[in-house]
Amino acid sequence: MCGIAGIARRRPEGVAAALLERMADAIRHRGPDGFGLHADARVGLSNVRLSVIDLARGAQPMTNEDGTVFIVYNGEIFNHLALRGELEARGHLFRTRSDTEVLVHAYEQWGERMLERLNGQFAFAIYDRRAGSVFLARDRFGILPLYYTERDGDLYFASEAKALLVTGEVERALDPQGLDEVFTFWAARPPRTPFRRVCALEPGCCARWQDGRLTVRRYYALDYAEAAAEPADALDALDELLRSAVRLRLQADVPVGGYLSGGIDSSIVCALAAVGSPHALRTFSVTFEDPTLDESAYQRAVAAEVRSRHAVRRIGRGDIARVFPHVIRHTETPLVRTAPAPLYLLSGIVQEHGIKVVLTGEGSDEVFLGYDLFKEAIIRLLCWQRPTSRWLPRLLDGLYPGIAPGAGKGAFWRSYFTTAGAPDDPLFSHLPRFQLTARIKDFYSTEFRAGLGAFDPLAELRASLPAGFGAWSLLARAAYLEITTLLSSYLLSSQGDRMAMAHGVEARVPYLDHRLFEFAAALPARSKLRGLREKDILRRWGGGTGLVPPAVTRRRKQPYRAPDVPAFFDGRPPEYVEELLEPASLARTGIFNPQAVAGLVRRCRAGRAEGFRESQALVAILSTELWHREFLGAPEPIRARVAATARVRPAAAEAPAAA
Amino acid sequence: MRDETRDLTPAVIADRTRAYVRDNFLYMRPDWPLKDEDPLFGGGVIDSIGVIELVGFLQREFGCTLEEEEITERNLGSIAAIARFVSAKCNGGGVRAA
Repeated sequence: MCGIAGIARRRPEGVAAALLERMADAIRHRGPDGFGLHADARVGLSNVRLSVIDLARGAQPMTNEDGTVFIVYNGEIFNHLALRGELEARGHLFRTRSDTEVLVHAYEQWGERMLERLNGQFAFAIYDRRAGSVFLARDRFGILPLYYTERDGDLYFASEAKALLVTGEVERALDPQGLDEVFTFWAARPPRTPFRRVCALEPGCCARWQDGRLTVRRYYALDYAEAAAEPADALDALDELLRSAVRLRLQADVPVGGYLSGGIDSSIVCALAAVGSPHALRTFSVTFEDPTLDESAYQRAVAAEVRSRHAVRRIGRGDIARVFPHVIRHTETPLVRTAPAPLYLLSGIVQEHGIKVVLTGEGSDEVFLGYDLFKEAIIRLLCWQRPTSRWLPRLLDGLYPGIAPGAGKGAFWRSYFTTAGAPDDPLFSHLPRFQLTARIKDFYSTEFRAGLGAFDPLAELRASLPAGFGAWSLLARAAYLEITTLLSSYLLSSQGDRMAMAHGVEARVPYLDHRLFEFAAALPARSKLRGLREKDILRRWGGGTGLVPPAVTRRRKQPYRAPDVPAFFDGRPPEYVEELLEPASLARTGIFNPQAVAGLVRRCRAGRAEGFRESQALVAILSTELWHREFLGAPEPIRARVAATARVRPAAAEAPAAA
Repeated sequence: MRDETRDLTPAVIADRTRAYVRDNFLYMRPDWPLKDEDPLFGGGVIDSIGVIELVGFLQREFGCTLEEEEITERNLGSIAAIARFVSAKCNGGGVRAA
């Protein structure tokens, strides 16, 4: 995996090599193994490379035989060998074994239609010198990032926004609507970002720049053509697809590792990887000192079962607060949870162990309906249909047993879910979450709120839904919303690519092989969520193979959580937290009301800020202030004063799990 | 010794509850107009987790135990409703003040 950056000029004024070097330097963490650039009168391209396939000859930018097509590329094309065979049969000559070169020839052969043939995770830019055009593309689910901005007909693009901001030619300013979306959906909705005029290329989209104009187009749309009944061969088909998805993602000229959460998804991936890998599998886990968050017993059980060499990053008191400024530098967006921070620490130990590629279980909860939110939507719909039922709302208690166990919740607590919007609202499934997250906005300053005017992120989301959306089942609609609002822009980005690439680690996600997604999307919803049993078909398959310990296959989904308020207020908060939450500092940034934040801090200090409402507000406010300091100017970024923790705390317990 | 039970008039309960709600749920919106008959839920003052916090407060502050069936909009839907409900519980069930 790599990082890419470039500039295309409307007038042939040239792109300075020093400028391209500066852009590449900003994303050096993505590719510590190499650097390359191309600059001519019209277009400049640069690349930082993490060598994974054809280590010796995969340097970029790469060209075709006559130097008319250039590419900079970040990612992996997992079916590159098959495509290469097809292209060779059509007369294309290859100089390397790399998948980068396959893209060059695929572009020559098929033009933009090449995208339909790719199975992979990618973001790339192809400079077609004869046409004077630049073609940008991003994979179907947005596993890899790509940002761009335009100024006077010039195009700037890069894997991370920071590479655009260092050019000095791109304005450093916040986009209030982008922030307002973060405080609704957990992340801005592409193409919007928290930076003014900086766009994220939407997943499944490509763009062509020519003569100073950029045209964006969707080449892949999520579809849910659900069958009435599960096909008789569904388990066999799933078996083949899962094995193929993992096998393709084991291709590398370096050893591949795996993340083990202790849940069924990553366990299946690691079990299949252990079977298919030519190397002894290395697995990596995060554990927490807090016993309510700890899943290490399950992680150890799976590591023993798949006979991996297992390493653990234990998250202790103070760890999250210490790395948080670095985390925000990499996410490039405010957060509403600290959950990315442990993954930043985890990729640090992966790097220490010399592993560059890991497989993860991300995507399964969206593809196979694993989240509680899907069950919640079903229960809410039933409650709506049978308003007099006394037992239906009680199902919600069982759904969230972790929330104030033993406390009186009553009909009132349940009414929150049952009254959060009517089923004819297209966003029905997600309204409780969106409404809860939006409580962060209670802390806005008067001026910031006024600046947003009548902006309504939910109305914009409703207006963006595809034509067939209304005909899909409730669960298909919910899955679509989950993928487009949370998976792509938060889980795969802030919690995925950014945290892995912070330490030069490439994360591969077999469950987001588009063939697997399309297979699952065409199953009836009850194959995935049967009654209130989540990921049913995956569990049936897992139970039948014996690859995963039964305790893990039977286990109810445990949401991945990290401490929020206690991460900063367990004892005296770090100096930077106090500094950023001071009224004068908050007033300078201008987004949050200092008086309101003072109230929150008081509650945090007293140990009374225990609910989601306040924990998300604290993380949102703190991360926004860090983000603002990091990217939007003076004073100096907090990060500059806080040591990079991977070095501060090298505690990685390691033992051969199979012993 | 003072008989605190007698002090728990609806007005006292309303005052203490109002102060609690302002201090814990509306500290970020000090300008929020909160009248005793205004809805606490649905109107954006208290959310689903807040209900649990509020119930905990009422039990601590007024020494009453709320049953599952009592956690309803009718009983807890506004400051005034809470004052009526808690006061009735006090009078009827030997509730002691905190």
